[in-house]
Amino acid sequence: MKHYRQIPFFLRYIINAAVLVGFLLLGNGILSSGVMNRAQSSVVLQIGIYVLLAVSLNVATGYLGQLPLGHAGFMAIGAYTAALIWKALPGKSPAVIVLGLIAGGLLSAVFGILIGVPALRLKGDYLAIVTLGFGEIIRVLIINLPGITGGTPGLMSIPKHSSFLVVYITVIVSCVLIHTLMKSRHGRAILAIRENEIAAEASGVNTTFYKVLAFTVSAFFAGVAGGLYAGYTGILTPGNFTFMTSINILVMVVLGGLGSMAGSIIAASILTALPLALQSFNKYRMVIYALLLIVVMIFKPSGLLGRYDFSLSRILEKIINGQLFKKSQKAGEEHA
Amino acid sequence: MKNVNSNMVPLDGLGIIPERDAGTPPILDIRHLCVDFGGLRAVDDFTLLIGKTEIAGLIGPNGAGKTTVFNLLTNVYKPTEGHILLNGQDTRGKSMHQLNQLGIARTFQNIRLFSGMTVEDNVKVGMSHGYSDSVLSAMLRLPSWWRTERRQHIRALELLDLFNLADKANTLAGNLPYGDQRRLEIVRALASEPKLLLLDEPAAGMNPSETQGLMENIRMLRDEFNIAIMLIEHDMSLVMGICEGIAVLNYGKIIAKGTPKEIQSNPVVIEAYLGEEAVK
Amino acid sequence: MLFLSQCINGLQLGSIYALVALGYSMVYGIIRLLNFAHGDVIMIGAYIALLTIGAGVNPALAVVLTILGCVFISVLIERVAYRPLRSAPRISLLITAIGISLLLQNLAQLLFSANTRPYPGAAIIPTKALRLGALSLSLSTIVTILVSVGAMTALHLLIQKTRIGKAMRAVSEDTGAAQLMGIDINKVISVTFAIGAALAGMGSVLFCCRYPIVNPNIGSMLGLKAFVAAVLGGIGSIPGAVVGGFAIGFAEVLVTALGFSAWTDAVVFVILIVVLLFKPAGLLGRGVAEKV
Repeated sequence: MKHYRQIPFFLRYIINAAVLVGFLLLGNGILSSGVMNRAQSSVVLQIGIYVLLAVSLNVATGYLGQLPLGHAGFMAIGAYTAALIWKALPGKSPAVIVLGLIAGGLLSAVFGILIGVPALRLKGDYLAIVTLGFGEIIRVLIINLPGITGGTPGLMSIPKHSSFLVVYITVIVSCVLIHTLMKSRHGRAILAIRENEIAAEASGVNTTFYKVLAFTVSAFFAGVAGGLYAGYTGILTPGNFTFMTSINILVMVVLGGLGSMAGSIIAASILTALPLALQSFNKYRMVIYALLLIVVMIFKPSGLLGRYDFSLSRILEKIINGQLFKKSQKAGEEHA
Repeated sequence: MKNVNSNMVPLDGLGIIPERDAGTPPILDIRHLCVDFGGLRAVDDFTLLIGKTEIAGLIGPNGAGKTTVFNLLTNVYKPTEGHILLNGQDTRGKSMHQLNQLGIARTFQNIRLFSGMTVEDNVKVGMSHGYSDSVLSAMLRLPSWWRTERRQHIRALELLDLFNLADKANTLAGNLPYGDQRRLEIVRALASEPKLLLLDEPAAGMNPSETQGLMENIRMLRDEFNIAIMLIEHDMSLVMGICEGIAVLNYGKIIAKGTPKEIQSNPVVIEAYLGEEAVK
Repeated sequence: MLFLSQCINGLQLGSIYALVALGYSMVYGIIRLLNFAHGDVIMIGAYIALLTIGAGVNPALAVVLTILGCVFISVLIERVAYRPLRSAPRISLLITAIGISLLLQNLAQLLFSANTRPYPGAAIIPTKALRLGALSLSLSTIVTILVSVGAMTALHLLIQKTRIGKAMRAVSEDTGAAQLMGIDINKVISVTFAIGAALAGMGSVLFCCRYPIVNPNIGSMLGLKAFVAAVLGGIGSIPGAVVGGFAIGFAEVLVTALGFSAWTDAVVFVILIVVLLFKPAGLLGRGVAEKV
């Protein structure tokens, strides 16, 4: 049997980094050249934001196997925190932008711990309802604290910091961090809990810690995405963060495939771009989403991509070994 | 084969342990363990000693409470009365993962693998302590992450190799044949470097030649790792072939304890089993 | 006197929540599913009453049609969407239920528009007030409380005294064993959905008589609060659902009376979280350990 040639790690990193930098430069070039109209370029930004929301929810839903329904609540905390910081600190320096995003993520993560510690002691359905309740509580708080949040009319004139580069650098860095977390012993512990919680605990995995960890990481990046959202719209109202927002994100994760980051990215991109492409489709959008959810659950519960994760290096390795079109024997195998 | 056929000697009038372990305290010291489920006493006055490198068997008819004993030992259930000393330490109030760190690992009667993960990753999950790389160092791929990954990879393949599973390291655990799944569960349990390994019906569903291989594997584990092994099993050829001390459970009570020879000729045991054997 | 009338107010709201909560609790007890679509079935019921009365149907007949419509939709949902997933992971079933809830809301929006319309509550229960000394009671309050108590008593008798009730209890205790004993699981589950939906149909009429407006979203908040009531009382427990319903009803009336009406939704969820923290199985529920 011929030896299967592998690409060394450092070369993989260089290839992946080059592809990502190329993507950033190309995207930024296209957007600043004015080829796209206003609506189109705003969809490009929205896609980035929803990709991060879906990828972050996937940590709790796909990897950990829980069903939180309050993702919009975490997004709201991040959005308002970043918005208030940006309003207070003048200037457009990267430090200010990063400060807003990270502060939003951190405060959201704190709430993630506060809600996660009690909620994760409960079984799946209870967790769903407690997080749903949490999302509603956050919304009621936003409405009833107009001194801070602007109340129902909303928080206005937020500096629009979310340029193409800001959005996509943040999204890429976040996705890479989540990816590397999942390819470590910590990530394996989280997956083991999804697969069989009792066996994980009996194998020495501190299930409480890892559940809260996954939940907190999920909340953190939802908060960061919320910050991007604030810097994109420039105005925040409580209506942006309803139960329906949480459900929209869930639909993306479920359709893409629970536990597949590539799936979340693709589904979030398509579902965000589709309404723009098909204006008439908008009226039926939610009905179609609902039907998709039901049909996918009945006929392909693992989602479109299942747990498949895209790896450029793996495809390159197949090419250099001349096996691109041979069916992999090691189905489901994942490389670091 | 240095450990086999050691004589069994009494200890403190509570039970017997292999002669070679007589100088060290028993790994497991269970006293008067009882558990009630809604008024029903599922395990009653269970007292047992297991030597540091003993292979012990727990047998009994179906529904006798054998798995319940394992669940009590791993704190899945809380005992109503009595106590368990693991290596001299009281296990009361410890969580399951803490007990694993103290040195108990187990397999399950109804296999509980992480079936959506690879064979190698299943074993790596078992290596749950002794590593200090933080979440942050994993996210940033700092040197400690690289060290951990390399150590775990090498160790996982070593352990898998013991059970001839190394060439299946990248297969999804759920796609393994049944016998391999049972053996992978043992490897995963071993990965946590236990002092006491609990095997719940390890030979269930295996054919005679697989069972034979498993017997050799179990002996090899005890000799290589110097650990105690306690197993629940219905296959009497396996139990009588490798166990040094055997406890027989019926209706939650121990009806006999002793060496395989003593158990085989014990009239009480024969009576308890007669119903089952007659049906067969 | 104000206190007493607030109490009666709480009793009215609480009995509506209890009726709806029973549906959640029964379904959960039997197939361990948090039926997200339950609240939206109530919304569909409201449209049925609105449209039939608008078309000149006798109000009493409209109420019957509402209840039958709710039963039909619920049984259909179970048949088409939940039954194929009965052995699937719980998370799939839950996502499907969310999908059904979304579907009903958005279909209603497509068919009837998102506009809020007035509900012909007065045609069903005339707006009359009874005076008891200084206390004034509306007819709808009295009817609500009487109907709810009657329905709950009937449900209790059904579950405790009849064959189908016994079968329902058996299935909720141990589905596998019940099947081995020759119980037709599918039939029992259908009947459970039907009973839950019939109670929801009554809840729909009574709720809309109290708050006489209809739009595609009225079911979701009512459903959520009733679900909270069911969890609070101990999901799967019938008396628990009743206790939880009244507790939520009274809490809401109390918060409103104290002048914090904008906070009622938040208070309901805070109560839920606090209860689950200290009594995860709810007030009257019992915890179930996983078999190893």
